[in-house]
Amino acid sequence: MIYEFGHLLLIFALFFSFCAFFPFGLNIVNFCEKNLLIIRKISNLNFLFVLTSFLILEYGFINSEFSLNLIANNSHTTKPMIYKVSGLWGNHEGSLLLWILILTLFTFLFSINKNIPKNNFFSNILGIQNIIIFFFLLFILFLSNPFQRSSNPPLEGLGLNPLLQDPGLAFHPPLLYVGYVGLSLSFSFAVASLITKNLNQNWVIYLRPWTLFSWCFLSLGIALGSWWAYYELGWGGWWFWDPVENASLMPWLIATALIHSINVAEKKQNFMNWTILLAILGFSFSLLGTFIVRSGLLTSVHAFASDPYRGIFILIILGLSTGIPLLIYSFRNTQKNVKYFLFSRETALLLNNLFLVIATITILIGTLYPLVLELINNSKISIGPTYYNRTFAPILIPFILLMAIAPFLSWGKSGIKILLNKLLIFSGLTLIGIIIFYFLKPSSIFAIICGSLSISLFISVSLECFNKLNSNKRNLSITKRLKSLPKNFFGMIFAHLGVAVFLAGVTGEQFFKEEIEKKINLNDKFKLGKYEILFSKINDVNGPNFLSKSAEFNVYSKGKFIKTIISEKRFYPVERNQTTEAGILNSFLGDIYIVFGKGNLNTGWTVRAYLNPLVSWIWYGVALMALGGFISIIQIIRKKKIEN
Amino acid sequence: MNPKAQRSIVIFSIILVFTITTFLVLDALKDNIVFFYSPTETLEKFKYQENQNKIRIGGLVVKNSLYQNNSIVKFAVTDQKNKINVIYDGILPDLFREGQGVVIEGYFKKDLLEATEILAKHDENYMPKEVADILKKEGNWKGN
Repeated sequence: MIYEFGHLLLIFALFFSFCAFFPFGLNIVNFCEKNLLIIRKISNLNFLFVLTSFLILEYGFINSEFSLNLIANNSHTTKPMIYKVSGLWGNHEGSLLLWILILTLFTFLFSINKNIPKNNFFSNILGIQNIIIFFFLLFILFLSNPFQRSSNPPLEGLGLNPLLQDPGLAFHPPLLYVGYVGLSLSFSFAVASLITKNLNQNWVIYLRPWTLFSWCFLSLGIALGSWWAYYELGWGGWWFWDPVENASLMPWLIATALIHSINVAEKKQNFMNWTILLAILGFSFSLLGTFIVRSGLLTSVHAFASDPYRGIFILIILGLSTGIPLLIYSFRNTQKNVKYFLFSRETALLLNNLFLVIATITILIGTLYPLVLELINNSKISIGPTYYNRTFAPILIPFILLMAIAPFLSWGKSGIKILLNKLLIFSGLTLIGIIIFYFLKPSSIFAIICGSLSISLFISVSLECFNKLNSNKRNLSITKRLKSLPKNFFGMIFAHLGVAVFLAGVTGEQFFKEEIEKKINLNDKFKLGKYEILFSKINDVNGPNFLSKSAEFNVYSKGKFIKTIISEKRFYPVERNQTTEAGILNSFLGDIYIVFGKGNLNTGWTVRAYLNPLVSWIWYGVALMALGGFISIIQIIRKKKIEN
Repeated sequence: MNPKAQRSIVIFSIILVFTITTFLVLDALKDNIVFFYSPTETLEKFKYQENQNKIRIGGLVVKNSLYQNNSIVKFAVTDQKNKINVIYDGILPDLFREGQGVVIEGYFKKDLLEATEILAKHDENYMPKEVADILKKEGNWKGN
């Protein structure tokens, strides 16, 4: 009975979001406080409805209520509790409900926000949010209903794909979705700005924290997914240029461009049109991501659904939500002509946006080209990592260099002399860094390039900190000088430092990696870099819902024992599926990563081992970027509090 | 410099970046596309021909065809009409099993596929889409 109630709540929410269309429409013609109040009430109520419905479904998962098709297909009584809970979003219908929950949550948070003036612009944003909510509720109710009952419920569920039974993956989708869905608000801001009359140009100020927020979560979500792929898939890599990974990277790149263009729009009233365009595109790419993952058009571990109607529906939403705003966009011109200088922060940020958008386009081509070709002449192709190494990577080179130099440029006109001076110090220090790096014997020209970029960025960031603290009011104490810095300075420093750390990790993992694959038996030793590794034991272990063969490897360095690495092969009887649990010895400077394959006592086991220097820096880097974003948000909020 | 000249420099550099990217993309697409064939198609197209490009072949692993010696693996893959022998040096993925669907990437030489990568990412109930399509085409699909 309770599940029918959950279903009913979703229908209510659909009805209410439809009702929000009328006050929204009336408000466009003639703004009235009363109408706005109705839209806000609906937004708050809808969040409550969807949340309750979500909790009811979660209750079903926890209690293994197999009379619901969704739960029977994706859960099992022997599953540990955390995977019963996360099983809800480990499938198409449930993940969509989570999507809508986050969407209504954002709308709710926006609706109760005190900082933004309650005018027609505010009403338009909420109205557009409700339109998006309406379409997604339509989608979930008619094409992917999570509350569908089965006529003869099974006694036991089918279980969850064992690859997904992992703490990393329990949190990966929610983080990613907060990012995806958060961009819907940026989208609504942009579209609202297009349809609002008498718009105050300052609206971008309000856009900033919301965009930053979703960008941070998108970063964390992507990083978590990549980390999961690294330790769970057992292939040693951290990014595979899988269509699904690309689908999350594209909105991230656009959101990154958006954050930077908002900066210009806020400071210089410039780039206004461009910011609007990016905000629209950002959400389009989020939808495209959902479309790619959910349509089943592209084969992937992530593709749960293969119902073509779902793909078509999402394609329609995508078409409408991109097409209509772009149509309005092409008829509007909100841009004022602003004075513009070549050597300025604006130019640097313009180029930043250019590179980010072009990088996104190359990924888009690589992701969709196989699809298009199949539609045209039915030939099946795949595009591998080499494509991206030869398109995406070269674009990043000038991009990162620009990123290192850009902070030295000032807004408006830069003094050429001061600029040259700073650049000279920067190039000198970078050169020294590169020479030191050269003594580490980088293996190829690409290693040198990648390492140098990271070094130049490290130096740029430290120089920037030094310059800002040194030049500003020399007579003040350090704490006062820190306080007088621009409000987004720390955010930028952390984010850029994050990129430097990330690149250092990439350099280590890509170019200094050592790999060994051989057949060995118990008590055999092999060498990996400066380490000696002994295959010491093999055990049978019983987990909560799996059987496992676990191998122990003792790691020695210069004859001294360091640690034991345990590498497992798990068999999940319910799902009749096997997974590899790589054994990883993690340290700040690098990982030892061991996977073992098939074998027995007579023939020995195939073992593959990697030494991955600095690999964790890849994720530390992204975490730093997200930290930068959060710092910026906190400072924006604090500044607002001081102003009020 | 006057504003107009400054603006044209920016516009020029944007066009330049676009041109370079287009070149990069086209060049990369030319070399890095891997075509996907069924065993039958592969034999029709490439048997006893010099072929330098990487290809992907999808099908079912022939039962009792698996032979392992050290890390060298040999097996045959079929679309129930023709079969192709595969040789591979490396660890087989977890989901690799005789009678199951598999996708192999590698170089086809004469009548043997020298595999560089074996992809068997899917669970047992689920067939890689490409393989399902191949089996459907050959009329041997037993599923929904």
